[in-house]
Amino acid sequence: MSLLGRTFGVFLYGLGTALATGLGAIPFAFVRKISPQVVAVANAIAAGLMLGASFGLVAEGRGHGEWQTIGGAVLGVVFILLTQRFLSERDVAFGDFRGADARQMLLMVIVMTVHSFAEGVAVGVAFGGGQTLGAVITIAIAVHNVPEGVAISAVLRPRGVSVAKCAGWSIFSSLPQPLMAVPAFLFVEAFRPALPFGIGFAAGAMVFMVLDELLPEAYEEGRRGAVALLVSLTLIGMVLFQRYL
Amino acid sequence: MDPTLIVLLASTAAAGLAALGPLPLLGRERTPTVAIGWANALAAGLMLGAAYLLMSAGRAYLPLEGAAGAALGIFFVWLTHLAAGTEELDLNRLDESSSVYGYRVMLVNALHSASEGVAIGAAMSVGVPFGIVLVVAIGVHNVPEATILCAVLRARGVRGGAAAALGVLTNVTQVLLAVVTFALLEAVPGLLPVTIGFAFGSLVYLVLFELLPECYRQAGRTTIALVTLVAMGIVVLLGGLAQ
Repeated sequence: MSLLGRTFGVFLYGLGTALATGLGAIPFAFVRKISPQVVAVANAIAAGLMLGASFGLVAEGRGHGEWQTIGGAVLGVVFILLTQRFLSERDVAFGDFRGADARQMLLMVIVMTVHSFAEGVAVGVAFGGGQTLGAVITIAIAVHNVPEGVAISAVLRPRGVSVAKCAGWSIFSSLPQPLMAVPAFLFVEAFRPALPFGIGFAAGAMVFMVLDELLPEAYEEGRRGAVALLVSLTLIGMVLFQRYL
Repeated sequence: MDPTLIVLLASTAAAGLAALGPLPLLGRERTPTVAIGWANALAAGLMLGAAYLLMSAGRAYLPLEGAAGAALGIFFVWLTHLAAGTEELDLNRLDESSSVYGYRVMLVNALHSASEGVAIGAAMSVGVPFGIVLVVAIGVHNVPEATILCAVLRARGVRGGAAAALGVLTNVTQVLLAVVTFALLEAVPGLLPVTIGFAFGSLVYLVLFELLPECYRQAGRTTIALVTLVAMGIVVLLGGLAQ
């Protein structure tokens, strides 16, 4: 196959993983009643999924470089801090929403979108390492993307966003995957050293989002026992999920 | 040295670190609420880091057994709170002078330390250098935890040496469970995946149930998030150096 053909193939694989994210909105078709308790439960589920995903990411990133992963995580936290500051100084709108809800939904989409850059690089670098390995990693990432779509929809849906739009934003958050996969595939050697940074960045941003936004809000609206139980069970589920796929 | 003796000495040292708990309170008439928030977040971050290390060590073993163990660990902590009637207890009340409250908080602390003992024992079974990292993380974590306990006990007039001694005493369960877990795993190595899972699950649940819920009200969200993350990052880094 020509290089152009293979490059296009990598793009299609990346696009496939992005579309898989949209599946995460499906469970929320059943969420109709919008109440603070639903927000607490959904926040707890998103927190568990993101913590579990970050644990898996850090474990993977450290295989590529210990200090780079930690350095990337620091950058990820600083990036989200700056984004928060930027958003809080402005009157943001997210669709028809305004104020604190809009800010949080926007931040969630931003966190999950920047985290997808690292995953796109992972797809591209994996294809650079051979087509079979690439296909395996692509399927793995596509499957991982479904709970990420769940996490995004868990934040958007209880605040009144439609299921279709939840799916749309989920897919949007994964679009960096095909976009990053292509250059990473073409210039594997240049991108490989960046991988642990990117992985650390993704994990740092997600854990900070969990600790700074999702958990405190869940504790405010929900009973602490229920929140703790949901977060820890989802976290274990996510770790197990990643281990098997 | 006999490995069981290493476990005994290391976990005793970790429990002994709790004696440093009252130090930050010296010379202050009142404990600032923000300080309690910081102590909670610090303890939570160190514990989350320890949980991460257990998870990454557990990846080498059977994942299903690990997950079953984790569910068991959560169930254990949930059950002990239910049995002790402490599932709704606010653990950080500085204005509560009834003796019943003081005893209940100490009971919660002693049960909390039991899970940490299982974590130390399991980590030592994985390997002594790995176990030492866990001991350091949990030992340092014992300090802010004892600070909070001492601040609570102070409302009942317990001060200085007595408060420090009670801080250490509530960690005796840690030593006991560390040695018992290690000895059990030496005898039945097949239980290691379940035990690592148990330690992981109970540590995560303790962080989410006991340490994090209160502290967002005691100090700002971003402060809590950053303190927790930094403490966690240091443990993760420390774990990498031991491998």
